[in-house]
Amino acid sequence: MGISLMYYLLVSGGLFALGLLGVLIRRNPLLLLLSVELMLNGANVALIGFSRHWNSTDGQVFALVVMVVAAAEVVIGLGLIVAVFRQRIALDVDGMDHLKG
Amino acid sequence: MTPALAWITLLAPLAGMLLLVASGGREPSRGFTRLVGVGSVAVSFACALALFLQMLGKDDHERALVSTAWRWADLEGLRIDLSLLVDPLSMMMMLVITGVGSLIVLYSTEYMGHDRDYRRFFAEMDFFIFAMLLLVMAANFVFLIVGWAFVGLASYLLIGYYYEKPAAVAAAKKAFVINVLGDVGLVLAAVMIAREVGALDFATVFASAPDALGAGSTVAEFVAVMLFVGAAAKSAQVPLHTWLPDAMEGPTPVSALIHAATMVTAGVYLIVRCNVLYQLAPHASEMVAIAGAITLFMAATIATVQEDIKRVLAWSTVSQIGYMIMAAGLGLYTGAMFHFLTHAFFKALMFLVAGIVIHALAGEQGIDRMGGLRRYLPVSWVLMGVGCLAIAGVPPFSGFFSKDEILARAWDAGDLGKVLSIVGLAGAVLTAFYMFRMFFRVFHGPEPEGGYDHEPHNPTIIMTLPVVILGVLAVVGGWIQIPTVNHGINTWLDPSLLADPGIEASHATEWRTIAMSLAAAVVGIGVAWMIFGAGGGRRRIEMADRFPALRRFLLDQWRFDPMIDDAVVAPGRDLGDTAVARFEPRGALGIASLGSGLATGAGRLVRASQNGMVRVSAFGVVLGVAIVAVAMILGR
Repeated sequence: MGISLMYYLLVSGGLFALGLLGVLIRRNPLLLLLSVELMLNGANVALIGFSRHWNSTDGQVFALVVMVVAAAEVVIGLGLIVAVFRQRIALDVDGMDHLKG
Repeated sequence: MTPALAWITLLAPLAGMLLLVASGGREPSRGFTRLVGVGSVAVSFACALALFLQMLGKDDHERALVSTAWRWADLEGLRIDLSLLVDPLSMMMMLVITGVGSLIVLYSTEYMGHDRDYRRFFAEMDFFIFAMLLLVMAANFVFLIVGWAFVGLASYLLIGYYYEKPAAVAAAKKAFVINVLGDVGLVLAAVMIAREVGALDFATVFASAPDALGAGSTVAEFVAVMLFVGAAAKSAQVPLHTWLPDAMEGPTPVSALIHAATMVTAGVYLIVRCNVLYQLAPHASEMVAIAGAITLFMAATIATVQEDIKRVLAWSTVSQIGYMIMAAGLGLYTGAMFHFLTHAFFKALMFLVAGIVIHALAGEQGIDRMGGLRRYLPVSWVLMGVGCLAIAGVPPFSGFFSKDEILARAWDAGDLGKVLSIVGLAGAVLTAFYMFRMFFRVFHGPEPEGGYDHEPHNPTIIMTLPVVILGVLAVVGGWIQIPTVNHGINTWLDPSLLADPGIEASHATEWRTIAMSLAAAVVGIGVAWMIFGAGGGRRRIEMADRFPALRRFLLDQWRFDPMIDDAVVAPGRDLGDTAVARFEPRGALGIASLGSGLATGAGRLVRASQNGMVRVSAFGVVLGVAIVAVAMILGR
């Protein structure tokens, strides 16, 4: 047992918090996507850490699933961004508010 | 007796209807429609006949058969079975419904030949016969009411058969509304019976009613009156009679079957079936008898001025049912059923002959546009003559025996009976008069001005045969009960009549009534001949101008329609208008707008959070998670 669980969780929490901060303060959709990616990977680190701690592979399998989902999410997100870009709309998420009630 | 036969009798017409309805979206071939439409009723008749033969082989007390399919409802202390009752009374009704029914359906195959909705007609006729059979075969009040409502529906559908005619639609609605009024009365009676007796099947109710209700008690009177509300609506008795003459908007075979021979006598059946209850309610019985007498007299007077051949017959039907209801009210249950039987024969006969006449004149119904038809339609002339003689009460035709039986026994049924017997006799004079007025004007006298557009044509054997059979029955139908000779109806119905007071006319009354009713018939026919027959009917015009006020009054049908309009329809409409104008904006509408206002207001508040900003939503999620996390930590 090299590194204790605490360090994994610290790194994971730090990555997640950075990502969350990015989602909340960034206005560029590209950076938004990057931030979401950061959050997902923060969660992955926690999963891997728990997996090692409990000596079970479930967490690693789940991390792989998360990566697949993340890839799919990026595909859709980038597709949306390209579509928005083609309409020559400024790449600013605060301007995209057509769904307001 | 075989229960299966009873079920086939009931369900064959239903199967016929379903087969016609289910045979695809397109109109099936006419041959198929004819086969199913007539075949199903004929099967039903054959089964009823087989049951009848089985019943003849039994002793009196073994003649009732109750067959239960399954328990339909089991409430606390109240069990309701889906079961049929076949006893002499329902047997008699079944034979008439299916027998006369098959003749009329057969007749319709040609009469309705020019109609485009061929299948709908036969599907509805089959449905009617099923409903009517359910009404008379039900072994408890619940299924009696179901059948009762079904025949109302069938009648509505068939009156409104020509749905593109506004008059037909209005007549259908009127019939339906008045019939539902009767249904309400019937249901109230059934609820009262269920409450007081704790059962709804006939056997239990009639066995325990004398103890549970008590003779002459208010409850017994209430039940009997409510039953009569149902009977009056269905059987067109004062003041719920106004729908029947209007119902003549339906095709003529419908008028013959539903509005003359069978459905309108359901009220008579109901009262006779509930004879035990009526014997417990003397005042209600008297009311029934008086209502019947008023109806028979009023309808007879109105029939004397009608100009439409079918309306003459319709008012005559109202009048004849008045005789039956009067007899049933006086406790002459067998007399009522006897008159039902003969009336079914001769009235169906006359309607079908009228149908031949209308058919021959390409839809003409006004007797003003008829005359001298005996040269063109000799068979119809003879048959209509038979029908008129039967209803007028001329021996040896059937109507004589049944009407005479009612009048003679009424005379010996107390003081009220004497009065009503005289009313009935007056009605008999009028009956003979108005029937022969119609007969002479249609078949004798001069042809209408300008002659007929085209030669009136005789129908084929398909239409003639049923009419001839009914004609024979209208002659011999009365011979099963000839005064002082035999008592076919009395002995036959005896097992079904648990509380028959057994009023019998003395020989003296019997002979006197025979003489008087003969005189009544002769006077009526004679006067009709003087005015409308002799000398080509030239006295008709002067008679029409002699009493203009009376004539006006009769043409207005005793002003019942405007009176009902003023008393019920107009207040109802005014109440509705007031409610709409005054109460609805604040009442129902107010409550509704309060609810919708609350919803809109809440929506407006919530809407502020939905500003479409991605980052605000994300912040919301984070905030939510944070709150949950804090709550979990604190709640540990």
